[in-house]
Amino acid sequence: MMKWNLYSRGDKFFAIVVSILIGMFTVATLYPFIYIAAVSFSSGFAAQAGKVVITPIDATMEAYGFILKDPQFWISYRNTFIYTIGGTIMSMLFIIPGAYALSRPQLKGRRFFNLFIAFTMWFNAGLIPFFLNMRDLNLLDSMFGIILAFAVNAFNIILLRNFFEAIPQSFEEAARMDGANDFQVLWKVFVPLSKPAIATITLFCIVSRWNGFFWAMVLLQSEEKIPLQVFLRHTIATLSDDDEFAIVQTAAGFSAETVTAAIIVCSIVPVLIVYPFIQKYFEKGILLGGVKE
Amino acid sequence: MSGVNLSGIVKAYGAVQVVHGIDLEVAEKEFVVLVGPSGCGKSTTLRMVAGLEEITAGELTIDDRRMNRVAPKDRDVAMVFQNYALYPHLNVADNMAFGLRIRKMPKDEIKTTIDDVAEILGLTPYLDRRPADLSGGQRQRVAMGRAIVRHPKVFLFDEPLSNLDAKLRTQMRAEIKRLHNRLGVTSIYVTHDQVEAMTLADRIVVMNDGNIEQVGTPMELFNDPANVFVAGFLGSPPMNQIKGVLTATGAQIEGTEIKLSGAVNDNVGRDVIVGIRPEHVTLEAGEDTTALPIALDLVEPLGSEALLHARSGDDNLVFKADTNGDIAHLSGVKEVHVPSHLVKLFDAETGRALNLGA
Amino acid sequence: MADNQTSTPDKPITYSDGRATRLFDHFKREWQIYLMLLPTIVWFLVFLYKPMYGLQIAFKDYSIFRGVAGSPWVGWEHFQTLFTNDQFLRAVSNTIKISALNLLFGFPAPIILALLFNEVLNATYKRTAQTIVYLPHFISSVIIAGIVITAFSPTAGIVNTFISWLGFDPVYFLTQPQWFRPIFVGTGIWQEAGFGSIVFLAAIAGVNPSLYESAVVDGANRWQMMWKITIPSILPTILIMLIIRIGNVMEVSFELVILLYQPSTYETADVVNTWVYRQGLQSGQYDLAAAAGLFNAVVAFVLVMTANTISRRYSRTSLW
Repeated sequence: MMKWNLYSRGDKFFAIVVSILIGMFTVATLYPFIYIAAVSFSSGFAAQAGKVVITPIDATMEAYGFILKDPQFWISYRNTFIYTIGGTIMSMLFIIPGAYALSRPQLKGRRFFNLFIAFTMWFNAGLIPFFLNMRDLNLLDSMFGIILAFAVNAFNIILLRNFFEAIPQSFEEAARMDGANDFQVLWKVFVPLSKPAIATITLFCIVSRWNGFFWAMVLLQSEEKIPLQVFLRHTIATLSDDDEFAIVQTAAGFSAETVTAAIIVCSIVPVLIVYPFIQKYFEKGILLGGVKE
Repeated sequence: MSGVNLSGIVKAYGAVQVVHGIDLEVAEKEFVVLVGPSGCGKSTTLRMVAGLEEITAGELTIDDRRMNRVAPKDRDVAMVFQNYALYPHLNVADNMAFGLRIRKMPKDEIKTTIDDVAEILGLTPYLDRRPADLSGGQRQRVAMGRAIVRHPKVFLFDEPLSNLDAKLRTQMRAEIKRLHNRLGVTSIYVTHDQVEAMTLADRIVVMNDGNIEQVGTPMELFNDPANVFVAGFLGSPPMNQIKGVLTATGAQIEGTEIKLSGAVNDNVGRDVIVGIRPEHVTLEAGEDTTALPIALDLVEPLGSEALLHARSGDDNLVFKADTNGDIAHLSGVKEVHVPSHLVKLFDAETGRALNLGA
Repeated sequence: MADNQTSTPDKPITYSDGRATRLFDHFKREWQIYLMLLPTIVWFLVFLYKPMYGLQIAFKDYSIFRGVAGSPWVGWEHFQTLFTNDQFLRAVSNTIKISALNLLFGFPAPIILALLFNEVLNATYKRTAQTIVYLPHFISSVIIAGIVITAFSPTAGIVNTFISWLGFDPVYFLTQPQWFRPIFVGTGIWQEAGFGSIVFLAAIAGVNPSLYESAVVDGANRWQMMWKITIPSILPTILIMLIIRIGNVMEVSFELVILLYQPSTYETADVVNTWVYRQGLQSGQYDLAAAAGLFNAVVAFVLVMTANTISRRYSRTSLW
């Protein structure tokens, strides 16, 4: 990029306009989060009257007090951790060896297997057959079912396979001549060489597990198994419909709005903590997934 | 016999045959260089010896043991790759130890082995470094070290110097030669660089198009190329090749009859290719030489010598001449003198060397 | 040995080892990669291909007790029902309309954003802005919906607070059908435009810098360079992304629809997958819902395949 003082007046004007537009979009992106945080720390009356704009009004922690006292909040928070960690490990157990095998030129039927996997990106049986299948497999209302049934997807396998294929053949050959078998080649050479790609996929897995909602809602019935997102949904849905809650609880210093906002804040915080660490990976990662047979 | 023995080795990918059945015996402790243009099958041949490519047909033995179906790790061979294949996540010591750990060598034994080899290669100060922090020549040494620590029966080199710049290449070339003299391990070395082949080899194997063109010591190949391909491949600049017809006393090329030392006998009238090495001609007429008139195009000084680019009839020719510190006297050259006994003849049709009157 | 045989034709190959031996050797040497592949293949069979087998209930009178294989065939009956069902047809039309709006407004947004980012000079400013605009992509749809519900609430929401400042009456955004699509598409842009710009930024980063340098020497300003160099250079990427989007017309993010719609907005909000969800999973009409899902999947498949063919022709690289 050129130096600022080499710019013409027109270009300087243009650059300033661009910076302002970017600034506006950035603020627009950020504002809803700030607004929600402000609501979560406001009093129920202030929130209900729509007084909160950017800072908490009549600042209070009542809404958080209400949530943190709810045992179901902690149960579902714990469950989300179980689904996220267990699910991510399960994904890696399938994806890493699978992608390695698919990347090996000596694999017989490689084209077929690749097509077998890619086909599921283009054609999907849909909600109903998937649900009935889960029922037939006796995986309804099962934590293990959730962890296993969403462990693999074609995109992640193909992404890692592409990365493995780009590793020069001679790394594998050198390891083989040194006496390594496939498991050793994978574990001692390919995995260390693929840290960025594996980090990216781990990140995708973690995010999708943390945020997973629909199937958890459909498949899980027991309250002690539901993840945070389902709990959050239940709470939002019941609070906003429950007139009695509105009357009784607002007197206590919180309202449906502030409680909802508080749960949102509680479930975003872990994402915000991890986010700076993962940012450098996903920018590269989504480009890896590209475009190749 | 011990050493490496290839007999009738063929490599085919589907219907496409890239190595057409080659026979080669590599004696124990011998340094053999496979040389040829890219795509000639030399790397494929090496990789078949390594076990990285399946052998389609033919027999490969190492120390009299059939190796066709033996896994690479069990062939007791080590290979130095063109791109070195050093693991970027391991330091120099761990890179060299990789194979030994996989083979479950005891820790202290690994340590002494690594230290010894690092000493030989001058890598001792760098054992803790990652490959990314090494220079090209150091990486090359680590790649060799990784092969040496295994004490294999055979070293395989796949164009190990082609990623280095010219100066380092010369230096590492000498180092490889010294190492071989010291360790005395049977080695097969693949390169496309004829200078490397000439300097390193006990014997050179010239390959072209999946076939062996000629096998011999560097000087045999230089002095007596078996065909025009070898003649044109070895030597820099390559041998001049001029179309001609044999006469009773020599070879008639456009405008000139080159005198030959041997007797032409019943070959009179045969179409030939006359081969003249650039360095064999002189500027002064000598005993038993033929004067070849040339039209000088260009003089390229190299220092002690100069290259004379010239035309004779339709042929573009290159000759070498001493400068004696000055090239001014070369710009007026009108003819060069060809010594009869150094002229090579090849059959125009088959390209094979002709030996007259022998 | 010195024979010059460059022109000898290939002799027929006599293999050193027989075919069976070589195959046996292959598996003896490479069994580990097949073992590594096995779990993944089994997983795909059990969780993705077995449901495809189960799709046959779209042509059956499915009963839970008889199971997939035991239920009697009814041919195209469910499809006939579907295409005379106003709700289903409405869902198809809503799906297409929402996708069209997404394409019209949602597709250009990340491109414009990427072009703007490319013109920002201050690296820290650019980096910070990027970090912030990528963030919503990582937020769950439940939270997104929660934010939307809170912000658009008629009494407490910030949007209506602004509206009342301007002197208007509060608007019941989430219960009025005409507001659903603008809110849904707007939310999508807010959530994905930033993250979507990464692809285009990468394409821009791939433009040869000497093009800009020679343009500077020729006296071009930044605005002209954007139009004459940047945009033409990333046009292939734009086309490919556009084709992918068109191929995914049937894929409206129904999770967010489920979270944002309510019976009063079904008229504009109900898409095929939400209809399938209600008919199948909530009302238990599995066979009819599966038929609707199959219809959706087949249309999507044809679109994706067409898109890939077109892109292959355009870019000479297929999308996968």
